[in-house]
Amino acid sequence: MADPAFYEAEEDDLLSSLAAPQYGQPEAASYEDEYKRMQVLEQHAYAQHGEQAQGDGELGVQLEMVPEDVKRFLILFHQAILENDIVTITTMYESGWNKLTQAHYAQSEWPEAEVIAPLVQNDQVFLTLYRELYFRHVYARLQPTIDDRFQSYENICELFNYLLNSEGPVPLDLPIQWLWDMLDEFVYQFQSFAQWRSNPKNKSEEELDLLAEAQQIWSSYSVLNVLYSLVQKSGINEQLKAEREGKSVEEVAELAGEYGSKPLYRNLGYFSLICLLRVHVLLGDPTLALQSMENVELSGGSFLTRITACHVTTYYHVGCAYMALSRWTDAIRIFVSVLIFFLRMKQYHTRSYQYGSIAKQCERMYGLLAICTSLAPGPTDESIMHIVKEHYADQIAEMHRGDALSTYKDLFLSACPKYLSVNPPPYEDSALLEAYAANPPQDATARMVELFLADVVAVKGVQSVRNLLKLYTSIDAGKLSAFIGEEAGEEEVLQQLMALKAASRSYQGKNGGSLLDGERISINNLDFTIDGAMVHVEETITNRRLAGFFIRNTEHAQRVFNTIRAAPLPTTGQPPAERAPRRDQPGQGQGSRAKPNGDGKPAAWQGKNRVRA
Amino acid sequence: MSESTSAAPVKSLNEWHSPSSRTEVIHELIHGVDRYNPTNLSYMEEYLQAQVQSGEYDLLAYLAVLKLYQFNPHMSNPDIITHILLKALSHTVHGPDFTLCLHLLREPAAILSDIDSDDQSLVVVLPFLQKLHQLSRTCQFTQFWSELNGESEGASTLRDVYLPQNPHFTSTTQLNFARSISSSFSRIKTAQLARWLDLSEGEVKQWAEKAGWKVDGEMVAIPGNGDNDVKAGVVNEQVELSQLTKLIAAAAY
Repeated sequence: MADPAFYEAEEDDLLSSLAAPQYGQPEAASYEDEYKRMQVLEQHAYAQHGEQAQGDGELGVQLEMVPEDVKRFLILFHQAILENDIVTITTMYESGWNKLTQAHYAQSEWPEAEVIAPLVQNDQVFLTLYRELYFRHVYARLQPTIDDRFQSYENICELFNYLLNSEGPVPLDLPIQWLWDMLDEFVYQFQSFAQWRSNPKNKSEEELDLLAEAQQIWSSYSVLNVLYSLVQKSGINEQLKAEREGKSVEEVAELAGEYGSKPLYRNLGYFSLICLLRVHVLLGDPTLALQSMENVELSGGSFLTRITACHVTTYYHVGCAYMALSRWTDAIRIFVSVLIFFLRMKQYHTRSYQYGSIAKQCERMYGLLAICTSLAPGPTDESIMHIVKEHYADQIAEMHRGDALSTYKDLFLSACPKYLSVNPPPYEDSALLEAYAANPPQDATARMVELFLADVVAVKGVQSVRNLLKLYTSIDAGKLSAFIGEEAGEEEVLQQLMALKAASRSYQGKNGGSLLDGERISINNLDFTIDGAMVHVEETITNRRLAGFFIRNTEHAQRVFNTIRAAPLPTTGQPPAERAPRRDQPGQGQGSRAKPNGDGKPAAWQGKNRVRA
Repeated sequence: MSESTSAAPVKSLNEWHSPSSRTEVIHELIHGVDRYNPTNLSYMEEYLQAQVQSGEYDLLAYLAVLKLYQFNPHMSNPDIITHILLKALSHTVHGPDFTLCLHLLREPAAILSDIDSDDQSLVVVLPFLQKLHQLSRTCQFTQFWSELNGESEGASTLRDVYLPQNPHFTSTTQLNFARSISSSFSRIKTAQLARWLDLSEGEVKQWAEKAGWKVDGEMVAIPGNGDNDVKAGVVNEQVELSQLTKLIAAAAY
């Protein structure tokens, strides 16, 4: 998730928003106005803090060392937040911060909050938000020390405390991208801390002491507590339920109450549900994970798709939860739908600063898809399966041969989430800790892998029986046993057939209901009935699915057409390069993609080779 | 015959994730933050005990109990854990239930060391239950029964301590094995069915008639249930209106 690649800003990253590209983005002209306005603000703010900044002893000296453009940025940033100026906040958050990081703080921390406090009139709320960014930068670019980890926890708790326990809703508004990043980072730091804490080796005395004292820091309880509190305060579940029932905006606002009707709280509540999904998956409770999402709409166009990182994370974890429930077809459906989306969006995102981590998570999903489709072979989206087969041809071949536990294991390990155990080692008791270190219990990921492999073992004989059955329309079980070999008697063969039957049935959810819902379906073309000892084989033919292909390409053609229509006429010899360079790009990108095999990369709609599982 | 007692494969998961026997109080507990409140533990445990007696099943409630153990290891109760695992084992053959319970549990030795228990039976029972689960999910029913009735330490602990407290274990297991069987067979030899359900030939005929299956000499005919009467066919693609919304919208102007 929020690994270092997450925040890597690229030079001149103007449009780093990961939300679906909107053609009505602020254009260059309005930036100019913005710039003038900011200059005015800046002079104003400088005049105010002019005297304060001096004579503060050592902190003052450190403030002197802060580069001018950083100071100016912070003053304007503060101003924008005070005014709840979402457009400016968004620009500064998504681009300004990253540019300055690149320029001054690629290898070191941003100045400490205490140092820059005079610039912002000691505004504690701003300083808390600033620290949130400060620690996020430390986690992304540098090695966090134990102090960083503790302070980051205290800071974020302070922030949530301010949001949840002030008198009434706080007068703050932040862009959804920031709110998502904040909660995403919260879970990421929890995960990172839990992993670091789970191994008592290689820790200094001081670290051990701190860990022994501070049991509640980053504990699972406290993290869940924050998330559930945000969910409750915002009344998000009630709101979503009412929206699903088709209640009017006013009715929903009434239900939401004074907190939930504010975008800040509503969005935090919404993202908390997704973080709960994630935490529950990490703690090994897939049913609870899916249950916490019961009111969230997953289908296209839902709110969570507005932020690509959130969209991809949600689907990844829902898919993992389905895998833990052995509902392979649901997992496949979820993975495929987000991967199609990602392929389509990719062209807009390659320059974005979160692109790396999103792409990595998608890579993992291709790995998990290879596993799911091996366990539940059946028709799936051909363009996605084409990529899966390109990436994992060898592994898929091994998994299809049946007895390839190590392949399943390696693939699962490389693609699964980093599971966590709820309880830390007993740091408070040095004797127990020593025993723990000498004989550490199985870690959470190893346990999950073991349980997953048990699932695989249970169906491992199934594939060969299926291959045998393909050759017959009816066959006696006794005869079949001769082919299966290993001195299998009739009873053993019948038992294997029952296992095959079970493996070709599953439960599948449908759009709209709870994620835990499911109807029994058949997931394999080959089916059979046993009459006494006679096996009658029936094979269902599935006609090739073409609608998805045509729908996607028609939509694609429509987009190309829209872009061309919106592009300026090529009458002037030189295009106005500085005015709207961004606008041309999607058009060009699509143009080149419209040629088959244009750049050698697999295109979303590439379906030339017929792929059958 | 209702879904929960019919020997045909279960068609929907509704009863699985929200059983009709679940009370409002339990529903609130499972769906709210109160599920983390350890003071509710005894209430949840009683609910389990009552279900062990009545033969009802509510996996999500049991998982909530195990969740509380996960967060409060010193409150773990090995007897409750064993009962939950027995429930999960007997109520599903191919479902993920047993594994889902294991997700929330640690190694038995670690569980016991947190509660300073002298009773080490969980160390023996848990691996034995895992073995039974592996046999059941791979449909090795004959071996399942012979393990369960065997002389191993795990089997005798179960028979001596836990099974007498669970009056429905055998009948529920038989019912769920039968669901697996009815999914594959349209007719089955009586002797085979008897072995898989661990019944004598006389008993199995009675059992089959109660389940609504027809006994015909040496064969039992199982009514069609969608799984055991499959016909070859052609599946055509179905396009739903929702897939076409964008296209239609674009065509509108």
